[in-house]
Amino acid sequence: MATSMDFKTYVDQACRAAEEFVNIYYETMDKRRRALTRLYLEKATLIWNGNVVTGLEALTNFFEMLPSSEFQVNMVDCQPVHEQATQSQTTVLVVTSGTVKFDGNKQHYFNQSFLLTAQSTPNNTVWKIASDCFRFQDWATS
Amino acid sequence: HNHQVNSVQRRERWWGTFRRRFPNWSEPDSPSTNPSFRQQQDGDATASDTYVDSAVRYTPYAIPRYHRRGTFHKQDQTPVNMQREQKLLERSMEGCRLNGTSGSWFKITIPFGIKYDEKWLLNLIQSQCSVPFTPFEFHYEKMQAHFFVDNASIAFALKNVSGNIWDQDNERISIFVSPSDAPRSVHKELKSEKVQQIKPTMKKRDDSQEALDIQRLSSEADFMGHDEMAANPSKYMATSLGVHEENVTKVESAGEMDKKKGLEPQQMRAGGNALCTTFPDKSSNINSILELFPKLSCLDGQESPRPTLGGTEAHKKLPTCKGSVFGSETLKNLVLQFLQQYYLIYDYGDRRDLLGAYHVMARFSLTILFNPEDPASSILCKYFKESRNLKMLKDPYLRVRLLKHTKRDIVDSLSVLPKTQHDLSSFLVDVWFQTEMMLGLSVSGVFKEVEGKSHGCVRAFTRIFITVPTGNSGLCIINDKLFVRDAGPQGTWNTLPIPMVTPYSSSMPALSQEQQKMVSS
Repeated sequence: MATSMDFKTYVDQACRAAEEFVNIYYETMDKRRRALTRLYLEKATLIWNGNVVTGLEALTNFFEMLPSSEFQVNMVDCQPVHEQATQSQTTVLVVTSGTVKFDGNKQHYFNQSFLLTAQSTPNNTVWKIASDCFRFQDWATS
Repeated sequence: HNHQVNSVQRRERWWGTFRRRFPNWSEPDSPSTNPSFRQQQDGDATASDTYVDSAVRYTPYAIPRYHRRGTFHKQDQTPVNMQREQKLLERSMEGCRLNGTSGSWFKITIPFGIKYDEKWLLNLIQSQCSVPFTPFEFHYEKMQAHFFVDNASIAFALKNVSGNIWDQDNERISIFVSPSDAPRSVHKELKSEKVQQIKPTMKKRDDSQEALDIQRLSSEADFMGHDEMAANPSKYMATSLGVHEENVTKVESAGEMDKKKGLEPQQMRAGGNALCTTFPDKSSNINSILELFPKLSCLDGQESPRPTLGGTEAHKKLPTCKGSVFGSETLKNLVLQFLQQYYLIYDYGDRRDLLGAYHVMARFSLTILFNPEDPASSILCKYFKESRNLKMLKDPYLRVRLLKHTKRDIVDSLSVLPKTQHDLSSFLVDVWFQTEMMLGLSVSGVFKEVEGKSHGCVRAFTRIFITVPTGNSGLCIINDKLFVRDAGPQGTWNTLPIPMVTPYSSSMPALSQEQQKMVSS
């Protein structure tokens, strides 16, 4: 069982990863859309307002088809996921909320949650998206 | 296993009851179990850090014009294959090295050459090359820069330059050499390739900058590991736009630039400027310019043909929003049952009784967001001191403290939150992750506060549960993230109700026409 000190380090690491990830993700989504799929695992799944998109190829097509975006993130939170669930693969749940304007559409409030999993290389740790769930808060009326 | 069989039977019975009540609730598509893979195209070439300044001598060179003759034969340019090619090259060069005869062509490749301005790069190479060379048909292909030489000894000399030149970031530049056919028409191939790559980005507002920027970025295998690049995107943008920036400056001085657009010239004279060095043939020059600058309305005094890139930004539509995603009937059953039981206790029981629903090392955090100007929102203040938003909260100790991490702490925290009544019929569920060991889901909906000053206030919430299976075929919560906000500007229930089995009424509401359409889409 982790001591409190370990837990703090654990949480710090998760928070840092979450903040860095969120910055990169939305900047990439808005300004370098074509690079976005690099942030996803090959088998990653996206559920976008109830539309299920699985695998890098489908994700590439999906993001290509989506109009250009302007995201404003107001809320970020994260939680490390216990290894019992992840079979010892370091995983973090990241949750965001804010507003988004897709070109040609009205502005929406959105909620998004990511499951990030750490992939270690000799030089550093890279976080990739295993799962992504995106919803407009007013999805039903849009 | 007996356990599982029994639970399946139980679920089927439950589901049968459910189905009878909601005959129109169709099964949404299950996520594919065999997702398609895309081969990672870009190699993981890493550059070592060195601190040697490279002295660049300006050496003029000439690029003659060549007629087109057909398409290229594309080669696999991964580092491993390049090494193989190097070995082949060396063997093939044995015979003609001392000859120095013209007529045998070699393709020179600079991986990640897209970063570099053509003139700068060629000058740099020449500065370290023991023999003067004439590069033919210099072009960029994906991340690489290529050109041809027609002489084996020159090719050999160029090979030796590899690793002995450094760019402005002190990254070593590699050069690969391979035998090749005489250069054919590069522009037809280049155009079709570039159209593929640029096409999606050309539709956006920031197009030309993005095209090269994206190419630049997609060369990084571990994109997120490159902090410097992420922190200084404009620096890398400038480098990759080297060629065009330079030429655009020249055009600008002629007074024909639309300065507001930055690097998107509205009118450009293609005939006399330095772009010709890259695209010797005039018609290919025009085509290439158009690809990179679709806003170009006038070229050489003529109306440019509209780029046929398949549509404009305005035609892009958002996908239709759909309802709950469960993945399978079994999961739907399982999740709905879990949510019912959870909220039954959460709303009507003692929340400490939820102890059994949580894993011993579970995590919970809460965030609330509200409009500070809304008077009704001031009631949310009681949630606020427990609210964890990394955007607002920087204190590392508080960040840890607000993440509850034992089940005891969690149910204690839940117990002090105001009493609620959730409208299960408003619930929207997305099951976004599923393995044998783990289930990840989001629930969104509305609830009412049923005590104190905020009695009757409607809130909207999103809750994320990550669960692991338990012995009695239930779900055990390992992560719980609650997000509470105002329900809407008028505090109304603005989500379309999705019928669910509610624990406190025995008769089910019939689905309206609209709702039937909604659930069957």
